[in-house]
Amino acid sequence: MSPRHHPTADILAAYAAGANEPGFGMVVGTHVEICAACRAQVRAFEAASGAALSALAEVEMHAGALERVMARLEVSPGASVANDTRPLLERLPLKRKRWVAPGVWVAAVDAPHAPENRVYVLSVAKGMVSARHEHSGAEYCTVLKGAYRDEFGMFAAGDFAAADEALNHQPIVEGDEACVCLFATEGRLRPKGWIGRLAFALADV
Amino acid sequence: MADSADDTDEDLLAQTGRGDRSAFAALFLRYAPKVKAYLTRLGASAAAADDLAQDAMVSVWRRAISYDRGKARASTWIFVIARNAWIDRLRREKVEIAYRLENPAEEASSEELPDDAVARSNDAKQVADAMATLSDEQRQVVRLSFFEDRPHAEIAEHLALPLGTVKSRLRLALIKLRTHWEKYS
Repeated sequence: MSPRHHPTADILAAYAAGANEPGFGMVVGTHVEICAACRAQVRAFEAASGAALSALAEVEMHAGALERVMARLEVSPGASVANDTRPLLERLPLKRKRWVAPGVWVAAVDAPHAPENRVYVLSVAKGMVSARHEHSGAEYCTVLKGAYRDEFGMFAAGDFAAADEALNHQPIVEGDEACVCLFATEGRLRPKGWIGRLAFALADV
Repeated sequence: MADSADDTDEDLLAQTGRGDRSAFAALFLRYAPKVKAYLTRLGASAAAADDLAQDAMVSVWRRAISYDRGKARASTWIFVIARNAWIDRLRREKVEIAYRLENPAEEASSEELPDDAVARSNDAKQVADAMATLSDEQRQVVRLSFFEDRPHAEIAEHLALPLGTVKSRLRLALIKLRTHWEKYS
């Protein structure tokens, strides 16, 4: 089934330009990998960037740059690299899974290029209702497995959701399996529950 | 070198994919100065842009075999390689910076949580038990940092301690709590 909730065009454009916040690009890329429509849109943006690249005024390379590059070339171009076809959840560089409550685990994604943002996978068992909460910075989310529902509808595998401080919602896990999502969250949050905050600190997210 | 002035970029890239070094050299002359211009616009210094443009062109050689002219123009394909070279570069630099500063990422993240979904489902008694394993001094910084949500600098001022002491005390407390917590996981 193809995803029903997509990133906006400006998010996809930033992704195509490599200009997403560190960590956030990973969440967009996860959706793009699953979604043919967004892949096509990203390709269109890349083509526009390619045209812009060939129209740029040249900046002269250092003398000898060509000779240095020629000396680095192997005899023949490399064999084409096969794509890693494992499910995304297995390819993500996850740190240790930590249970933070019955039926809830969280694992930080190893993203040292994004020290200012948190990137993590959260798994919530079926039937769990999360506390109503607000967001104090931008947050991107792509559902990897299972589904949840909130005031904005049903979000199933592949669906993308962006939240900002205006969003106040209450997600509920739907269906029979745990809902597993990849998140990137920006900035400092002002959580309400100090026990929960401590639990996440312990989970190293 | 064969005269390649009439060849399109796509021709040159396809020939490069078949191992034609002179086609690659022609492609380099057309594109390396543009890739360098692009990287300069992204904020690379002249020297870094030159190095990175060279790296990107080596990647063009290595991957040219997978170029499919039916799917993308050569300029698009080269743009994607240049963009990825830039992202990789940022990633490397950030990693180095993070390690040099003794990984501020972990420090920052230890005060924050993504949302409070867990807050209500968590067992308060487990946390109370874990807190009981801390020394008074450790409990104090944990409370100020997590419960009162005070920045490290403010805690340091409040307790008349050096900032480094507050941070290391907090780190040790978290390690201790985590060890205790593992028993429940």
